[in-house]
Amino acid sequence: MLWTEKYHPKNFDEVLGNLKAKKEILQWVEDWKAGNPQKCLLLVGPPGTGKTTFASLIAGEFSDSIELNASDKRSYDAIMSTVGEASVSKTLFGSRLKLIILDEVDGLHGNEDRGGSRAINKIINDITQPIIMMANDPYSNRIKSFKPKCKVINLRKIHTNSIVFLLKKICVKEEVEFEEHVIRELAKRSKGDLRSAINDLEIIAHGEEKITSKDLELITQKDGRATVFDATRTILKSKDPSRIKTAMRQIEADPSLLLEIVVENIPREYEKKEEIEKAYEMVSEADIYLGRAFSTRAYTYWKYAYDLMSIGVALSKEESYKKFARYANSSVYTMLSKSRSKRDLRDRVAGKIARKLHASKRVAISQFPYFEVMFQDNEIAYNMMMYFGLEDDEVKLFRSMKVKIPESKIKTDPKPSKSTKKVKKSSNMAKKKKSRDEKSTRNDPSKKENDHKEKQTSLFHF
Amino acid sequence: MKGPWVEKYRPGNLDEVVGQDHIVERLKKYVEEQSMPNLMFTGPAGVGKTTTAIALAKSILGEYWRQNFMELNASDARGIDTVRTNIKKFCRLKAVGAPFRIVFLDEVDNMTKDAQHALRREMEMYTKTASFILSCNYSSKIIDPIQSRCAIFRFAPVKGNHIIQRLELIAEAENLKVTRSAIESIVYFAEGDLRKAINILQASASTTEEITDDSIYEIVSKAKPQDVRKIVKMALNGDFLGSRDLLREVMVIQGTSGEDLITQIYQEVSRMSMESLIEDNAYVDLIQSIGEYDFRIREGSNPRIQLEALLAKFLLRSKAD
Repeated sequence: MLWTEKYHPKNFDEVLGNLKAKKEILQWVEDWKAGNPQKCLLLVGPPGTGKTTFASLIAGEFSDSIELNASDKRSYDAIMSTVGEASVSKTLFGSRLKLIILDEVDGLHGNEDRGGSRAINKIINDITQPIIMMANDPYSNRIKSFKPKCKVINLRKIHTNSIVFLLKKICVKEEVEFEEHVIRELAKRSKGDLRSAINDLEIIAHGEEKITSKDLELITQKDGRATVFDATRTILKSKDPSRIKTAMRQIEADPSLLLEIVVENIPREYEKKEEIEKAYEMVSEADIYLGRAFSTRAYTYWKYAYDLMSIGVALSKEESYKKFARYANSSVYTMLSKSRSKRDLRDRVAGKIARKLHASKRVAISQFPYFEVMFQDNEIAYNMMMYFGLEDDEVKLFRSMKVKIPESKIKTDPKPSKSTKKVKKSSNMAKKKKSRDEKSTRNDPSKKENDHKEKQTSLFHF
Repeated sequence: MKGPWVEKYRPGNLDEVVGQDHIVERLKKYVEEQSMPNLMFTGPAGVGKTTTAIALAKSILGEYWRQNFMELNASDARGIDTVRTNIKKFCRLKAVGAPFRIVFLDEVDNMTKDAQHALRREMEMYTKTASFILSCNYSSKIIDPIQSRCAIFRFAPVKGNHIIQRLELIAEAENLKVTRSAIESIVYFAEGDLRKAINILQASASTTEEITDDSIYEIVSKAKPQDVRKIVKMALNGDFLGSRDLLREVMVIQGTSGEDLITQIYQEVSRMSMESLIEDNAYVDLIQSIGEYDFRIREGSNPRIQLEALLAKFLLRSKAD
C-alpha cells in the first residue's frame, strides 16, 4: 500500500492544515444532514492541499455517492445521464442523500466535454442532492460560469512545519531513523504539496533503516509540480530542452496564459536586444499555432505552440543569465482591473454609436478620434448626443466641457421629443442665459431627418 | 446638420451604392428573380458591405422589408445562444408580403467558431423561409461549411474617383466650401474607406468654414493618437519596456484594435522615413516586418502579442545597446 494511502486521514480531525476550511465543510455537511439543501461546494486549491481527501471524508458522511473525474467523458449528455438523474430523482425511499463528486472541473475539455459546464450549471441551479466539485485553478475560465453559484472553499498550501510534523510521524511509525534537516528539506521541496512530500519520503525511506542527506539526491531531479511561474523561470533560465519539457509537462495551464507570463518576463530576464527579438519571434509563431488551433478546432496544433513558447524562447538566449530577476504577472491583467470603469464607459459609448452606425464596437472605436474633433463644437456635440442617445457623463469621453443646449434649439424646438432628456434640458435652460458660445447654425430640413431616424430604429427586431 | 453624415448619406438603394458596380449588377439579378442564395460579403472596413446588404434587402423584400429583415450587429451579444434563439425565432415564421426573410450578420469572422457552427445549422434548417447575408473582413476566418453555403462577394477598397464623387455630393448638400486638393488629401488618408473619408470631412467641417489641405492635415494628425508616435520612437530608441507598456495601454484601455494600430504604425514609420528620420535601408526592413506582422495578426490568436513581437523587431533596429 502506498504511504499516501496508508497515512491518509481517516476522519476530519486527522486532516492537516486549512482549519477554517475544515470548519466550513463540516458545517455544510451538518446542514445537509439536517435537511437544509446547501449550495454546491467548490473546493479550490493547488495539488496536494487536500481536495480529494476532503471529498472522500465528506463522502463517508453520506450513505451514497457518485463520482465523475477527468478520466470519464464529461460532455453535456454524459454528465446529465449520470449525475443529472441522481440529482433530480429523489430516491423512492425517502430522503436518502446521494453525494455527487465532480473532480477537476477546471479540466473540462473544450472539445470532448462539449457542454460540460452547461450541464454543471443546469444541475447546480436546482440542487436537491449534495454536490462537491474540485478545481486546481481558481481563475480558470472553465469554472467562471458556475463559480459564483457555489460555496467556494479555498484550500491553501500546507505549511512546511505541518508537513515536517507528519513526515516525522510517518518515519516513527515506519521505524526509520531520520535527520531533522532531511525531513525539513523534503517538506520544503514539496512547496506545500503534502502528497508529493509523502511520495518523496517513501521513495527514499521505504525499507530503509535510516535516511540521510545523501538520500536526497535520489529525488533532486524531481521538481514537484510547477506553477506557471516555475515553468516560466525554467524556460527563461535553462537552455536544456529536456528539463524544459519536463517543466512543461507539470503545468496544466492554458497555453495562452503561459504565453502571456512568458512574454511578460522575456525582457526582464533577457538583456540583449537580439535575444529579445528572437524570443519574441518564437512567441509570435507560437501564437500563430494557437490561432490555427482555434480557427480549425484542431487542438493538436497546441503542441507546436507549447514547444515554440518554451524551448524556442529558451534557446533564444546566448547563455543563461546568472542573476535574480523578479518575475511579474502580466501587466495586462493589472491594467484590466485598474481600468474597468474607463473601459466600461468606452464600451458603453461604443455600443450606442455602433448600433446607430450599423457596425461593431471595434469600428465605432476606430472612429472615436473624428468624433472627438466634431464634439468640440457645441451644437454638433448636442446633435450627436441626441442622435446617439448619449448621457452627460458619456459625452465626457469626447469633450471636457458640458454640452449646452444651442439657442437655435430652444427657439425652434422648445419641447424635446425624448422624454428622458427633459429634465436635463430644463436645468440647462437656466445656465444657457449666461453662456453663449454657440456657433452659427446650419439649416437642415428636419422632416427628412425624422424619416431617417424612424428607419434606423426599425431595423432591429429583438 | 444633425447626427453623423455617414448615416445621413448612407445610400438608400442599390443604385446609390458607389464603387462596387460589379457586385451591384449581380445583386440586381437577384432582385429581378426575387430569390437569392445565402451571400457572404467580404472586404475591408468602410467599403459598403452593410450598406449594400440593407439596400439589397429593401429592394428584394419591397414594401414590408422591415418586418422581414433582421440585422444582428457585432455589437450585439452573439454567442451560441443568441444565434440559436433569436435567429430561430425570426426564421421560423414565414415571410409575409415578401418572398422570404433575410437575416444580416456583420463581422462574422469575429464570432467564435462554436457560434459559427451553430449559425451553420440555422442556415441549413431554414433554407426555405430565409436567406442569410453575412459580412466579414476576412473570409479565411469563417469555417468552411459556411463558406461553401454562400455565394461570396469580395468588396474592394473604394476607388479614389468614387470617394471624390461621394464627398463632393455631400459637400454640395451641406453647403461646404472645400478645395479640390482638400478632397484629394481626404482620399489619400482614407485608403479606400468611405466611412473614414466622410468622418474626416465632417470633422474638418466642424472646425472651419473653409476646408483646405491644411485643415485636413490638422484633423488627421489630431485624430491620429500621439501615442503611436511615442510607441514607435521608444522602440527605435531601445526602450522596449516603455514602448511595450504604452502599446498595452493603447490596446487594453483605449481599445484600439490590432489591425487599426498596425496601420497607424505603418503610417507613422512612412512619415518618419519621409522626414529622413529613418535611413532608407532600415525603412525597407521595418516595412517588411510591419507587413509580416500585419499578416500574423490575422493568423494568430492574440494581436497584442504579435504587435509586441513587432516592437522587438524595431528594438533590433535601435542604435542603443
